[in-house]
Amino acid sequence: MASTGAPVELVVASGKGGVGKSTLAATLAIVLARRGYRLVAVDADAEAPNLHIVLGVDRWDEEIPVYEGRVAYIVDELCTRCNACAEACVYGAVEVHDGRYWINPWICEGCITCSAACPPKAIRYRFRVKSGVVRLARSTRYGFPLVGGESAPGRPNSGKLVTETKNRGKSLLGAEGVLLVDAAAGIGCQVISSLTGAQLALLVAEPTLASLSDLKRIHRLTKHFGIAPMLVVNKYDLNPDIVGEIEDYARAENIPVIGRIPFDPAVPESMVKAVPLVEYMPDSPAAEAMLRIAEFVADKVLTDWRSWWSRYRPKKPEPYVPIIIRPGGSAK
Amino acid sequence: MRIAFATNRGGMDDTLADRFGRAPTFTIVDVDPESGEVRETRIVENPGARSGSGAGVKAAQALADNGVEVYVGPQPGPNAYAALQHLGIRIISMTGVTVREALRAALEQLKAQQ
Repeated sequence: MASTGAPVELVVASGKGGVGKSTLAATLAIVLARRGYRLVAVDADAEAPNLHIVLGVDRWDEEIPVYEGRVAYIVDELCTRCNACAEACVYGAVEVHDGRYWINPWICEGCITCSAACPPKAIRYRFRVKSGVVRLARSTRYGFPLVGGESAPGRPNSGKLVTETKNRGKSLLGAEGVLLVDAAAGIGCQVISSLTGAQLALLVAEPTLASLSDLKRIHRLTKHFGIAPMLVVNKYDLNPDIVGEIEDYARAENIPVIGRIPFDPAVPESMVKAVPLVEYMPDSPAAEAMLRIAEFVADKVLTDWRSWWSRYRPKKPEPYVPIIIRPGGSAK
Repeated sequence: MRIAFATNRGGMDDTLADRFGRAPTFTIVDVDPESGEVRETRIVENPGARSGSGAGVKAAQALADNGVEVYVGPQPGPNAYAALQHLGIRIISMTGVTVREALRAALEQLKAQQ
C-alpha cells in the first residue's frame, strides 16, 4: 500500500470554469486508489457539485445539515411602524405587506444593524438556519469515500460549508493518505476555503486568454497560502500560441508543467454517459494523457510530497491584499 | 507581549490549527519577549469558527478585542490578512508544530527582526 507519511491535501483548482477540474480530479482519485493510496475525494463546489456525477454516485450514505448564524425577524406586537429598520438595512431585506413590517429571511444577512436601529427593540434573531448539507458516500465504485456539500440556494456561506465538508473528509481520512479536493471555479469564499490547509495544488488551464487570466488569479491565491502549484494544460492542441503564453507564465513563476491533455470528443461522450473517461475509453488520447498525469502525481509527487512541496512552494510570501474601501471613501 | 496562536483544543501543548478564520480556538499567551517567560495563558473560542460569512475578519476582530499584538499560525486568507494589517497585528506564518514550539520560534524571529 502506498503511503504518504502524514495526511496531505491536494486541491484541483483553475480559476476558470469548465476547463476539466472534475474530470481530472476523478481520474486522479481513481488512479491513486488503484495505486494503493489511502484517499478521500472531496467535492468542494457546494454551489454546483458534480464530482459525484462523474464518479457514478447516485445515493448518499449520510446527509448532515449545516446551520449558519442568524436571520432577523420582527415581533409584530412591538413594532411601531417607524420604518427605522427599513432605512437602516443596506440589503433591502425589510418589506411591508398590508401595513405589516416583515424581514425577508432569504435576503437578511444577519448583520444586526436593524435591531440596533429599532427604537422599541422589536427585532429578534432566529438561529439555526440551514445553509446546506454535507453529503457522504462511504465507498464509491472505486473503493474510496466521497464527501461533498450542497448549499441551499441563496444562503451566503459556501465558505463555511466547504470547511465542514473538508473537515468531514479529514476525519474520515485519519492519520495518513490523500485528501483530494475538487475546488469550485473562481476565487471566492468557496475556493479560498478549499485552499486553506492544502499543501499542493494542481492547476488546470485551457488555451484561452480567459483561462490564462483566471490562472494568474488562482495562482496568486496559492502563492498567498504558500501552496506548491503544478500545472496541467487541457485541450492543448486547440491553440498552441496561447499554450505558449501559459507555459511562459508557468516557467517564469516556477510552476512545473506536469502534463498536457489533447482535445478529445470521447470526453464529452463519457460525460454524457456519466462514466469516467478512463473507464469508458481508456485508450482514447485524453484518457492516456490523464493516466500519465495521474501516474506522475502518484509516483513522483506524492511518494515524497514534502520534498516536492519544499521545492515548488513560493519562496517569498506574497500576500494577496484585496482593495480596501474605507467607510465614506472610495477604493484606493 | 501578547501573542495569539491558532489552535484546536487550545493550550501550550496543542498543535497549531490548519487554518486561521475557522480555527476552533485561539491560545493567547502573555510572554516576556526577552526572557521567553510565559506569564499567563488563556484559551478563547474563535467567533469566526461558527460564523456564516466573514469568518476571517471576525477572527481578526477577536484578536484585536483581546489586545493581541502578534498572531502566529497558518497564513490567513486575503480579507483576514488585510484586517490584521489594519489592526496593527503582526503575522508570523507557521504550521505543524505545538504552541510551545511555535512560541520559541516566533520569539526568535521577532528578536531577529528588531
